[in-house]
Order: sequence, then C-alpha cells, then structure tokens
Amino acid sequence: MPINEAMVGRQYGPFTYVVGLEKMREFAFAVGGTIPSTGFMSAGAPGGMHPWLHDLEAGAKSPYGSIVAMPNFAVVFAAAPFGAACGDPDLGIDLVMLVHGEQELEWFGPIKPNDTMKTVGTISEIYSKGDKAFLIVTSQTTNQRNELVVKGRWTAVIRG
Amino acid sequence: MPHAVGDTFTLVKECDRYRPIYYAAASGDFNPIHLDPEIAKLAGLGAPILHGLCTYGWATECFLNYLGDPGKVKKLKVRFSRPVAIEDTITFTGKVTAIANGVVTAEMTATNQRGETVLKGVVAEGSV
Repeated sequence: MPINEAMVGRQYGPFTYVVGLEKMREFAFAVGGTIPSTGFMSAGAPGGMHPWLHDLEAGAKSPYGSIVAMPNFAVVFAAAPFGAACGDPDLGIDLVMLVHGEQELEWFGPIKPNDTMKTVGTISEIYSKGDKAFLIVTSQTTNQRNELVVKGRWTAVIRG
Repeated sequence: MPHAVGDTFTLVKECDRYRPIYYAAASGDFNPIHLDPEIAKLAGLGAPILHGLCTYGWATECFLNYLGDPGKVKKLKVRFSRPVAIEDTITFTGKVTAIANGVVTAEMTATNQRGETVLKGVVAEGSV
C-alpha cells in the first residue's frame, strides 16, 4: 500500500515525558525476564541483571548517583513521533499490516529518575519497494537541562 | 574491564508465553498483533509475535553486560528480519571488531532455536 510521499518533512511533537523510577525498573524487569512489577506480585530483578538498573543502593554508589534506565528504555518516550506518524490519518496506514523494519538509537547520556524528556521527530523518508511501503521517522530527545539524550531512526514496513 | 578486538560475548533469552504481554505493559506498545491471537491471524502472522523492540532490548542487554556499564552503550542498529514467536529461544552473540578513539564497535547476531536469523546488520557501539 503506497503512502503519500508529500508527507516527508512533516514534524511531530514536542512530546514531554517524565521518567519514573519504578517505570524504569519495571521496563528492565520485562526485558530481563521477570514480571514488570516492583510492587504487587513482583518477582524481583532477573538473575544476572546489572545492579545499576534496579538496585537503589548500588545505583547511589554508581558514577551516576542513582539507578539508570536500560538504554533502550528510551523507546518509551522517543517512539512518540514514530507512533504519531504511523497513526497519522493523512498517511492512512493500516496498522494491522505494519511491522517494525529497522531500529537505530544513539545515546548521548544516561536516563535517570525524574528526568523530563522532550522529543521531536520528522518523517525523513517514504518509499515503496515491491508491494511494501517504507516509512522512516527520525527523532531527537533532550532532557530538562536541554542536553541531547538520544537520537532515533525508526523504520516501519507496511505490507501489501 | 579491559576490552580487546576479537572479544566475544553471548546471551540467551526465551520468549515465554507472557513476554509480549509483559513487554506491552512496560513499554506502552499495545498493538494487538502482539497480544491478540485473532488479530495476529488477521494480519497473516499466524499467532502473536514478540515486539521487535523487545528483541532490540535483549540485544542491548547482551552488549551492556559485555561493557559492564549501562551508561557506556552509545549506539545500536538492527534490522528485524524474522518475527520472534512465543516459545522461541534467541541466542545473541557479539564480537568486537574495532576499538578506536574510545569507541568499542561490535557486530552481533541473533538466531532462534532453528538457527534462523531474527536480526540482521546488528552493529553496536560503546565507550571504553
């Protein structure tokens, strides 16, 4: 299904997101292999998980002074422009036919509890190959000190 | 921990039955192709598949364990070449290909229990 190539350059955001400590740990637990809960029914941290991702005491003694998020926790806030583009009625994408094609993230600093992230994004490419359409969104996230935290390149593939 | 060109590292992860539900809850990605067998069938996937970004998270975890510091992961690029299904076991491997200007570069692979590649073109960069 082709997408309107005139949408290249459309911008989304800024999207604001405040990083929560328990949310960071829940995310690490879900990726690591236990249940994403640090309260009710928590199974604790997965075995072998880096202590700076979940252990408050170890985090406080780390070079970061607190626990930090798994780097890929960034997707929780940095995906906002990509999600907005995929759901943009002007693109008319059938979400059931959408799969994630490629992902690239580049980190410039750690993600810490109570950071306020601001993400903006742009449709950088739209093209078709065979019966597939490709949508590429680039994103940029800064924190409350206006420091660059993460850049992303998100590729969606929309099947026939 | 000192790093050297030629270093290898590995991590094995299992997509248990509830992993897509847990990852949806943690990430906010509730696309029903990951959760609802009927929608997954409608989408031609046969059954719910794991979020590509969870597989991406596993690759991140594999690399950060090697670096020994979550804050040293600087870049990760992947192409999702095959869906990960429930009950798949994914083996991640990495090999350091270069260390220059304070940057460790590694190439990584991710294969399922049938030896099929689920991520292609995986390149990771970290700081020394």
